[in-house]
Amino acid sequence: MFRLPLTATVIFALSIVSATQAGEIVLDGLKNPSGIAVQPETGVVFVSDSAAGRIVRLVEGSAEEVITGSSGDTYGKGPKYTIGPMGLAFLAENRLVVADSGFPDGEEYLRVFEVPPAGAAALGYDDCTKVGPLAATDSVKAEGNFYAVAATEAALYVTCNGDDTKGWISKSDITGASFGELARFIASKEATEVDAPVAITISPRGELVVGQMGEITVPSDGLLTFYNARDGKLLYNQPTGLHDITALAYSPRGHLYALDFAWNDPSQGGLFRLDNDGEGGVNAVKIKSLDKPTAMAFGSEGALYITLIGSVEEGQEVGAGQLLRLKPGL
Amino acid sequence: MRSIGRSFLLVVLALFPRVASAQGDFEWHVPAGLEEQRVRIPKDNPMTQGKVDLGKQLFFDPRLSRDNTISCASCHDPRHGWSNGQRFATGVRGQVGGRSAPTIINAGYLNGGIVKFTKQLQFWDGRAVELEGQALGPIQNPIEMDMTLPEVVSRLNGIEGYRSQFQQVFGTDVTSEGMEKAIAAFERTVLSGDAPFDRLKAGDESALSEAARRGMSVFFNKAHCSACHTGGNFADGGFHNVGIGMDQDEPDPGRYSQTKLQGDFGSFKTPTLREIARTAPYMHDGRLGTLEEVIDFYDKGGIPNPQLDEEMRLLKLTGQEKADLVIFLQEGLSSASYPDTMPPTLPE
Repeated sequence: MFRLPLTATVIFALSIVSATQAGEIVLDGLKNPSGIAVQPETGVVFVSDSAAGRIVRLVEGSAEEVITGSSGDTYGKGPKYTIGPMGLAFLAENRLVVADSGFPDGEEYLRVFEVPPAGAAALGYDDCTKVGPLAATDSVKAEGNFYAVAATEAALYVTCNGDDTKGWISKSDITGASFGELARFIASKEATEVDAPVAITISPRGELVVGQMGEITVPSDGLLTFYNARDGKLLYNQPTGLHDITALAYSPRGHLYALDFAWNDPSQGGLFRLDNDGEGGVNAVKIKSLDKPTAMAFGSEGALYITLIGSVEEGQEVGAGQLLRLKPGL
Repeated sequence: MRSIGRSFLLVVLALFPRVASAQGDFEWHVPAGLEEQRVRIPKDNPMTQGKVDLGKQLFFDPRLSRDNTISCASCHDPRHGWSNGQRFATGVRGQVGGRSAPTIINAGYLNGGIVKFTKQLQFWDGRAVELEGQALGPIQNPIEMDMTLPEVVSRLNGIEGYRSQFQQVFGTDVTSEGMEKAIAAFERTVLSGDAPFDRLKAGDESALSEAARRGMSVFFNKAHCSACHTGGNFADGGFHNVGIGMDQDEPDPGRYSQTKLQGDFGSFKTPTLREIARTAPYMHDGRLGTLEEVIDFYDKGGIPNPQLDEEMRLLKLTGQEKADLVIFLQEGLSSASYPDTMPPTLPE
């Protein structure tokens, strides 16, 4: 029987203290930031500054360009968001995976960069090893809009938003320094009957943990699902009551957190802790309201970093994005 | 690519435990293919046989309209797939609305979303919540039944047969709250499932003809129909812009009228495809008279506009694929247990 690797419904005093903190804005002026990864060994935080088509790292309180030159695409129909690179994940100290979302479906890749040391010149967007793409077949739509990336020692996993009839999670096997073909792996919509896998992380036991965003016009349909990372078998599937889950992350203390974008009513969005409700389900506890949160990662010191798109008037230039830091203790 | 066989198996497993449900003195059968827990019953409106019978009488009674000519069933007629067979809904004094009358088949079924959390939105633009929120709307709409609630309550209280039934069911004279609950309770019983498609999923390999099986494959793959027409009721509970009406000077804003989100402009609720062969004409403005026209429309990718759904694109279906798809929709989703309700005797 599958046992949910979530903490029980016990709220620790330290969590409550952390929940009330305002958070520190460590970067602002970002353009639809949509991905975060923390570099192993150094603890440096990398952010996909998506609409700017670049990856930056946080160096002494400023954004330093690491990778530049992605094109942009438009997501949504109003509000509309310009997006470029989105999901990020480190495979090793200097090996960074970047998920494309700035190109047409069928022309997007997982890009693997060897990032230069701080202070070095930025890499071009093609200075990488490309994994993919996922082209159309006679019966399957081309895949694209790669949202979030998760990695084990054995494989890369990416959530995709090309084929809404299937909701693919795709996979590339890793052998040494080589990457296998990017292939459609889990048809998450067939497994759950809910649209759009977006958030993805790896559980402490090695399962794939996926946040199913659902239909953006349907409120409260976000799912938390677990899959066997090797064979893709669905292990667990429960409603959360969240609207549009964009990110999942385990804290150093073992709590699972989710970000809710809440597309139709962003005032309901924020950071939530997903507790075991004691009956096999999930109880989503709101920790903090956030303005269109997109990605998160825990830093090496235990702080939580979150990217926010923020709010601008429709049609105005983007640039309200922020990188927020919540103190350790979650 | 995975076949749909796996999802079939999951659904088959989900089908077997459910056959019938009882609440109070009311027993009903939730047809195969529908998930019983998605036919949600509000705690403050439990199903009883007396309430369903009362709701049925109200549903078919033209005395709920200003000139005693229009009932709910005028636009939601069992003989026309619980729609009206016309392009638009027609109300009192021959007034014609701007949208087609959606079928109420499975209107009480939660499409998409989560049973525990999601509210079922009603009407093409989702302006009402749950059947109870919808039931009194057309009665008060000036181009449909054109009554005020005090007027209709007063009129029905003058009919002894109604007053006595309200006393039995609700312990009160006729009230608008009781009307709302009774009509919703009746509408909740209008269910369709157990179609050849469901029987195939349950393991009956002979349930569909070869052409329909080919059409089913087109439906779930090349034609991308299941991007929106998904789940037990072949509807995702969402709102989509497929371009219908967007070529007009003043397009119907659809869902935008409720949310004021630009992305919802021209979006309308995904309708069920259950009993689709009975519910022509099609689309929210009834402009397409046949399933062949509907498939041609989607094959061309809809009508371009800034809010066109991302699933709309040139499909390049062959003539054979189109023909097979029509056969699947007609044959596969039509049930032998169609709720062909006859009008009741109305109280005097």
